[in-house]
Amino acid sequence: MHYQTESWNSDHKPTKSSSSSVITDPLAHIERLASDNAVVIFSMSTCCMCHAIKRLFCGMGVNPTVYELDEDPISGKEIEKALILLMGVSSVPVVFIGGKLVGAMDRVLASHINGTLVPLLKQAGALWL
Amino acid sequence: MASHRIEESALSDFGHIPYAVPHMIHPPTTFTNQEGSAFDFGELEEAIVLQAVNETKQPLYAGRPAATLEMFPSWPMRFHHTIRGSSKSGEESTDSGSAVHTLSSRGEGSRLEPESPVGRKTDSSSDHRVIDQMHHLQLPQQMDMASGSDSPRTGMSQAQPVAKPTSEKRRGAGSNSERLLDAKTLRRLAQNREAAKKSRIRKKVYVQQLESSRIRLSQLEQDLQRARSQGFFVGGGGGAGGNISSGAAIFDMEYARWLDDDHRHMSEIRTALQAHLSDGDLRVILDGYIAHYDEIFRLKGDAAKSDVFHLITGMWTTPAERCFLWMGGFRPSELIKMLTAQLDPLTEQQLMGIYSLQRSTEQAEEALSQGLEQLQQSLTDTLASGSVNDSMHHMAVALGKLTNLEGFVRQADNLRQQTLHQLHRVLTVRQTARCFLVIGEYYGRLRALSSLWASRPRETLIGDDISCQTTTDLQMVQSSQNHFSNF
Repeated sequence: MHYQTESWNSDHKPTKSSSSSVITDPLAHIERLASDNAVVIFSMSTCCMCHAIKRLFCGMGVNPTVYELDEDPISGKEIEKALILLMGVSSVPVVFIGGKLVGAMDRVLASHINGTLVPLLKQAGALWL
Repeated sequence: MASHRIEESALSDFGHIPYAVPHMIHPPTTFTNQEGSAFDFGELEEAIVLQAVNETKQPLYAGRPAATLEMFPSWPMRFHHTIRGSSKSGEESTDSGSAVHTLSSRGEGSRLEPESPVGRKTDSSSDHRVIDQMHHLQLPQQMDMASGSDSPRTGMSQAQPVAKPTSEKRRGAGSNSERLLDAKTLRRLAQNREAAKKSRIRKKVYVQQLESSRIRLSQLEQDLQRARSQGFFVGGGGGAGGNISSGAAIFDMEYARWLDDDHRHMSEIRTALQAHLSDGDLRVILDGYIAHYDEIFRLKGDAAKSDVFHLITGMWTTPAERCFLWMGGFRPSELIKMLTAQLDPLTEQQLMGIYSLQRSTEQAEEALSQGLEQLQQSLTDTLASGSVNDSMHHMAVALGKLTNLEGFVRQADNLRQQTLHQLHRVLTVRQTARCFLVIGEYYGRLRALSSLWASRPRETLIGDDISCQTTTDLQMVQSSQNHFSNF
């Protein structure tokens, strides 16, 4: 599991007023972040469900890339807002596998139980068994 | 008893007589104290009878026919005495099955003859008075025998009975009224009475036990019924703490209704399996059952919004279920483990499917458990830390953290639901049906276990009662839930 904090600085455009969003297109930004790694988790350090989802992947032998939004002072809030728009109810945790959106905890669990998660992980190169 | 009364009254008549020959007769202190007396009325009777016999033959001491005559109550003399005054019936043959019968049927003079008085009749003058009394009894008989007439008694024919007193007496019962009250008969009568009494007592005890078992059974059924309609064992935890929340109460009622539906579904599945319906029809029924489970998960989700503690502490379940509770419900991996034993035979593919299902549920459970643990840790930190000043703030933070509980219960239920769906996918239709029956059966038994446990006897009782009750309870459970044999 590796935590990313630097890489999204490249997307920051210089702004004149601080009221406008730092990231022009949060969703695109998210998408870009998601396709950078096989398994991407948007999380918050204080969120227990995020902790559970991280433990799930680690337990399966996967090494996910984790973005702790509360530890990103710059764009964390933006991404969180965008995720809420994307997911509807809660912002974190959200999982992307192979650049594609899987969902929150319930979708991840459902796909694990019905046996679709592991093939997806293998396909994305996150699992080699 | 009548005979006793007669005995009493008769005794009074003989009150002044120490039972004929003093040194040879032991007046029985109790009715049963008839064995082992050196001499008792048995001998007396014997002697009297023999006297009659000896009318025809000479010897006065014929010896006792049998040792059975030793045990003997003092009736005969008295009977003779009273009857003499009352019954003139010449009735000879009768069943001597009961003293009363003998009483009424003896028209005859007594067969009782004191052996010794007879013997002493001619020997001892000190016994004269006694013997005279005896003779008074015998006399009519003798006179009858001799001349056939006696003032108090008329129409009595002695000949036949007299002719064979010994043998009749030996038989102990009989067509003859003579030996009525011989020792053997009387003892047998006494024994019969005792046996009948004991039998009555045993029967009474048995009936009482049956009654109490029946009452307990109906109480158990009532408890079960009540628990179903009102929610299980609410009084145990929720009642103790105070009123149950409305959300929890509503859920409990809905859960009770769901359980009844579950019963219905189970019966339907069972019938369908036994009727060997087609796979298509069976699938329809199974889909209905899956929807039934989806229903309860939905209900639980709603309840988690209003009262997550009620769900996660398992106050809606029975105590035994609560013992095995995991995150507000059953543990899916345990369910799979329980099922694999019942699922034989499986194809290779199915085996793989079940195995991977078990593994994935275990992983998911582990992840959720760790997440919940972190929540608890965080909550502990919040409650423990903080000064007095910002205690309110910390409480607010803690409250915020508590809201995450709902999420965990929901995810756990989600896991359960997905597990059931996946089972349905991996197995064939018939296997799935059997599976669902096994699951329903298992939880039914777990719930029954709670009822039995709650109703078990708690005070120290006689060992018989406990084992008796337990056996009854177990038989109840077995008879009502013996469906595994259908597989």
